[in-house]
This record gives sequence, C-alpha cells and structure tokens, in this order.
Amino acid sequence: MLDQVFERENYVVMKKMLDVAHRKHQAIAGNLANVETPGYKRQDIRADFASELQRAAKVNNVEAIQKLDASMELDLKSPAVRPDGNNVQIDKELLEMTKNATEYRFLSQYASTSLGRLKTAITGRVS
Amino acid sequence: MDIMPALDSTASALQAEKTRLDIIGMNIANANTTRGPDGQPYSRQMVSFEAALLDAGTTIDGEKIQIQGVKIRDIQSDQTPGPLIFNPGHPDADDQGMVRLPNVNLTHEMVDMITASRSYEANLQVVKTAKQMAEQAIMISKK
Repeated sequence: MLDQVFERENYVVMKKMLDVAHRKHQAIAGNLANVETPGYKRQDIRADFASELQRAAKVNNVEAIQKLDASMELDLKSPAVRPDGNNVQIDKELLEMTKNATEYRFLSQYASTSLGRLKTAITGRVS
Repeated sequence: MDIMPALDSTASALQAEKTRLDIIGMNIANANTTRGPDGQPYSRQMVSFEAALLDAGTTIDGEKIQIQGVKIRDIQSDQTPGPLIFNPGHPDADDQGMVRLPNVNLTHEMVDMITASRSYEANLQVVKTAKQMAEQAIMISKK
C-alpha cells in the first residue's frame, strides 16, 4: 500500500534529482581537480537532461522519469581559457558547486518533510 | 556509490597540488645553488599534470559514470641557461671569472606558488561541500 505513495511522481523526481546532484558534484570535483591539466575538457551532466526531465514531469510520466539518462558528457562548447585548450573556469565551477549543494540541501529537506508528513498521517501525532 | 561524492578525484588533486608546491619550494630553496651533484648549476624543475581516469566502471542505475582525477605526468627540468655573472672570487667561477647562476626566476615561482595554493583551496572547498551533502543525506531519516 505504501508503494503507491513512494511511486508518486514527487518522490520519483526527488530521488532522481538527489542522484543527479550527487553525480554533478562528482563532475565538478573532477573539473576542479583538473584546473591545470593541459587540454582537459570539462565534464557535466548531459545538457538535455533538464529539459527531458521537465517534459516527463509535465505529463506525470513516472516511468520515463525513472529511466531518464543523466550520464556525464564532455563540454566542448565552453571556450578554452588556457592556450592548451583547457576550458575549466575555476570561479564558474565553484559557483556551480555552491548552487548544486544548495539544490541538494533543498531536496534533502524536501525528503525529510515529505517523510515527516507521512509519519504524521500514520501516527496521527505531529512530531 | 559512495556517500561522500567525488572524494577520490579531490584527493588526487590535493596530492598533485601538494607535489607542485613541493617542487616550487625546491626551486626557491635552490635559487642560488651554483653547483649540484653533477657539478652543474641547479636547473628549475617543472611539474606537468594529466587527467587520470580513476574509475570508469562505476555504474548508478545501470548508467556508466566516469570519475576523473588528476595525476603528475612528469617532472622536467627547464633547460634554458641561467644568467652568467662576473664574480672572480666565487668558488664556482670559470677561467674568465664568470659564474653561471641557476635559471630559477623568483617572481615566476611566487606566481606559480599562489596559483597552486589557490587550486588547493578550491579542492578543499569541494571536500567541504561533499561532507555537507553527506550530512544532509544522513539527516533525511532523522526527522
């Protein structure tokens, strides 16, 4: 019975986004590790991911959301900032990291409150 | 999937930047060394980095992810000759009284040192954020 609660689109999107935020942090860490590697190209979550997620969420397609591909890809579009072709901008990466961490905090708080509401429904007590 | 994301890449970067700082320290320490073990003046050492694939096989929900770190590719010596100065009293002076100094440029080393320490700081910030993320993930169940 509880499965139905956890299969609702808000839970599914939340889980997906937490995973993606986790992975995005990995990508940013890799970029920051290679700030000074000659010829390194920055990596990021697939650029189409956000729009695909939005499209799937709009029609409440839970299965599509679960199956969304959020793999990493090389960012070849950002201009090189060093003569050797490296395109990692340290300030931009740090900014992205802060943004991503804030997103993660929002999502984990959302998870806490959702589960808390469920608990309230089950016990009838506000914890 | 680790609870703290991307520790391996960051650790490799911290290690690499530290080695770079070591080398810069060595260059500055030897800025006036006119005779090394080989009888030649000290020559500046340079570090070059290379991206390293730490783990290409990790999968999350069947999707492959690539974790990239960094490693030191090579430590090379700078072969440009250092300045030649006239100092006949110097123990390493040649027949004409000229001494070959190391090719270490202190200004250059200082700038390099600042760059290296800033990169180090940026990577430390990544660890800090990863730690906060892990703490928040743990707190999901504690409410």
